[in-house]
Amino acid sequence: MAEMVLVGNFLEAAVRSATPLGFAALGALIAERAGVVNIGIEGSLVCGAFASFVVAGLLGPEVGFLAGGLAGMSLGLVFAVFVVALRAQQIIVGAAVSMLGLGLTASLHRIAVSSTGPGAPISTFLPLQVPVLSGIPVFGQAFISQPVTTYLLYALFPLVGWGLYRTVGGIALRAVGEQPSAAVSAGHSPARIQCAALLACGFLSGLGGATLVVAQTGIYSDGMSAGRGYIAMAIVALGRWTPRGVAAGALIFGGVSALQFLTQAVNWRVPYTIVLATPYLLTLVAMAALRGTRVAPAALGQTLNRP
Amino acid sequence: MTAGGVALDLRGIHKRFGDTIALDGASLSVASGTLHALLGENGAGKTTLLDVAAGLTRPDGGALTINAQPVRGHTPADARSAGLSAVHQHFSLVPAMTVAENVALSSPGLFRTFSASDAAERVRAIATAAGFRIDPSALVANLPVAAQQRVEIIKALASDPAVLMLDEPTAALSPSEAADLFVWLRAFVDRGRTVVFITHRIREAMQNADVVTVLRSGRTVMTSAVRDTDESSVLTAILGEAPIRLHGTPTRNLGSAAAMTPVLVLRNSTVIDAGGVTRLSPLSLAVHAGEVLGVAGIDGGAQHALLRVLAGRRRPDSGTAELPTTIGFVPEDRLHDSIIAELSLVENLALRGAGKRHGRIRWSDLTNATRQAIRGFGVQARDEYAPASSLSGGNQQKFVLARELADSPAAFVAENPTRGLDVRAASDVLERIRSARDRGAAVVVYSSDLDELLSIADRIVVCFGSSVHETPLDAAVIGRAMVGAR
Repeated sequence: MAEMVLVGNFLEAAVRSATPLGFAALGALIAERAGVVNIGIEGSLVCGAFASFVVAGLLGPEVGFLAGGLAGMSLGLVFAVFVVALRAQQIIVGAAVSMLGLGLTASLHRIAVSSTGPGAPISTFLPLQVPVLSGIPVFGQAFISQPVTTYLLYALFPLVGWGLYRTVGGIALRAVGEQPSAAVSAGHSPARIQCAALLACGFLSGLGGATLVVAQTGIYSDGMSAGRGYIAMAIVALGRWTPRGVAAGALIFGGVSALQFLTQAVNWRVPYTIVLATPYLLTLVAMAALRGTRVAPAALGQTLNRP
Repeated sequence: MTAGGVALDLRGIHKRFGDTIALDGASLSVASGTLHALLGENGAGKTTLLDVAAGLTRPDGGALTINAQPVRGHTPADARSAGLSAVHQHFSLVPAMTVAENVALSSPGLFRTFSASDAAERVRAIATAAGFRIDPSALVANLPVAAQQRVEIIKALASDPAVLMLDEPTAALSPSEAADLFVWLRAFVDRGRTVVFITHRIREAMQNADVVTVLRSGRTVMTSAVRDTDESSVLTAILGEAPIRLHGTPTRNLGSAAAMTPVLVLRNSTVIDAGGVTRLSPLSLAVHAGEVLGVAGIDGGAQHALLRVLAGRRRPDSGTAELPTTIGFVPEDRLHDSIIAELSLVENLALRGAGKRHGRIRWSDLTNATRQAIRGFGVQARDEYAPASSLSGGNQQKFVLARELADSPAAFVAENPTRGLDVRAASDVLERIRSARDRGAAVVVYSSDLDELLSIADRIVVCFGSSVHETPLDAAVIGRAMVGAR
C-alpha cells in the first residue's frame, strides 16, 4: 500500500512537471509542422510566467493564466515579424527573442520590486477532484488530482491533433512545413499560415509559463522558465512531430524531473545536482538516439523566398 | 476537333521579373474541345504564361478570359472557380502526405474538416471517372513518377475544370507512359473539355495536338492547326532563324583497330543497394574507344547503377570493373549532383578532382582553366566569378561538360545530358559529346528521349528491371525491350 502511494506521488509529480512542458511542446509542434524552428519559446515561457504573476495578483489566477498566454503570444508576434515578414534567420531571431523575454521580465521585475517590494505569493489553482475518477488508485491520484489547467492540456492534445490532421487548414499547415511550393500552388499563403502557427505557438508557450506560477508555485522568480523552452523542442523531436508522441515525450521528461521527489522519498544517495541535471542529459541522449532519422518536416527551418 | 467557342483567351499579357521581361504581350487563344500545344525555347515564357492563367502570377498587363468570362482576381482559387486547373511540372505535391491529403490541400476553406474516408471516396470517384486506378491512402513519396503525375491530374480534376493546363507533362515519363497520357488527354478532350500542354518536343506536339502555339522571347510568334504546318516551320518559329540540325546522324569509322580498343570493361559486375535490392544483375560489357554506347530504360531500371559503375563513382558489389583513371561524368540532377549553384564558376571547376589534390589550391591556374572552359564551350556567363546560379540551364550544362571533358578523359559518361534544355542548347551538348567520341573517348549516354539516343548512339543497351541487354538500333525493338517485352 505504501508503495502504491509512493508510485502515485511520483506520477503526480511527473504530471505536474510535464504540464508546462506539454503546453510549450504543443506550441513548438504547431510551429515546426509549419516549418518554423522557434527557439524563442523560452522567452514566451518566461514572459507568460511574469505576466500571469502580475495579473493574477490583481485579478485572480484565471485572468492571470490568460494574460500569460497573451504575453507569450506577443513575443510570438515579434518572432513572426522578423522571421516571416522580414525573412530573417530563424535560429538567430529565436535566440534574440529568448534573451529579450528573459531580459525584459528581469528588468520589469526589478522595477516592480524597487517600487512595491517583492510580490506576495498569489493564490493558485488547487487540485480539482473529479468524482469517481479521482478515486481510482494510483491513476486517479496521478492524473485526476491536478489543477484545472492540466485538464485543459489533456483536452488540447486531441484538439491540436484534430486540427492538424482533420481540417483543411491543418493539411495546409503541414504542407507549408513539408513543401511550401505545393501549398502556394494550391492557393494557400505560407506567410499567413506560419504567422498563425507562431501566434498559437507563443500563446501555448505563454500558458506553459503561466502554469508554473498560477498552478504550481504561486511566485515568480527571474529565469524560472529554466530552459523548458529548449526542452520542449527536444520533446517535439523525441515525439517525432506528432501530438501523441509529444504527449508521451512530455510525460517522460516530466517523469525524469520528478525523480528528485522520488530520490528524496526513498532516501536514495544520489547527489542532488545530478538528479537536477537529468532532464538536460536526457535531452542530449534523445537527440543522439534520433540521429539519422528523417521524420522532421522537410522544409523545417527554411526561410521562404516568396512572402 | 470541334470549335465550340473560346475556352481560354490570354491577350497582350505583360510580365516582368526585375530586369527580365518574361512576357512581352503574349497571347494564347484556345478553342474549347481542342488539344493545344504550347512550344518555345527555355525562357520563352511558356511557364510564366501558364502561371498567369492559373492565378499563380499576377500579370503587369493584359486580359484573361476563361469560358468567355473575364477573370479579375489572380489567385489559384479564382482560376479554379472560373474552370481552369493546372498540373505543374515540379513540387506541387507533398511527398510526406497521402494522395487524399494532397487532393484535399486545394479544397477551399481552411476551417473545413477533412475526413480521411470521405476524401478517399472522393479521390476514388474522380479517379474512376478519369479511368485511373490509384490508392488514396498511399503516401505520395512511395509512388513512381507516372503515378505521382496521375495524382497531380486527379488534384486538378477535383474542381471539375473545363480547361486543363499541363506544364511539360511528359518530361519525367517513359515513352509508353507518355503515350498513355496522350490517349487519356485525347479522351478528356473528346468529352468536350480543353487541354493546353507545354512541351519542348516538337514531334510530341505535332503527333498529339490539334493546334500549336509558339512563344519566343515572351511573344506569340505562331499559332496554327497542326494539319496546316510541319515540324520544320515550327522549329523555325521557335528559333526565329533557319533551323539548325536537330539530330545529327551518327558518323562512325568502324573497323579500324584503334576504334575497337576496349576502355570500360565490366565482368560479371553486380550492384546491390543498401536495402539489399539487386539494382544490377551480373553484367559483362565493354565500351570501346571512339564509340557511343546508348543506354535506354524507364524510371527505376538498372541504368542509374550501371552509369555510376561505368563512371567509376560506385564500386560493383561483385565482379570487376576495369576503368581508366579519369572519367568525365555528367549526372542527371545537375543542381544536386554536379554544381553548387551559389558558388562561382571557378569554385565549381575546382570541384573536379578535389579529392585528389593536396596542399595549397592554385586559384590562378583554376581561374585560367575556367576562362578556357567558358571560351572553349561557348558558355554565356558574365565572367568566371559569376555564380553558377546566374547561368541558364543550358549554359550550366555546357559548363559542366567543359569541366568534365577538360583533361580529355579516356571515357565519358552522361546521364540525360539534355534534360530540360531547349533545342539549341541540347543540340550544342550533343555536338560536344560527338566530338569527344570522335577524339577517341569511350562514351556512354543515357537519355529518356529515344529519338535523341538513336541520333547519337553507335550501340544501344536497354535496361529493364536489373538486367541489361544489347538491342539493334531500332526504335520499335528498343521500345518493346524497355517495357520487358521481347
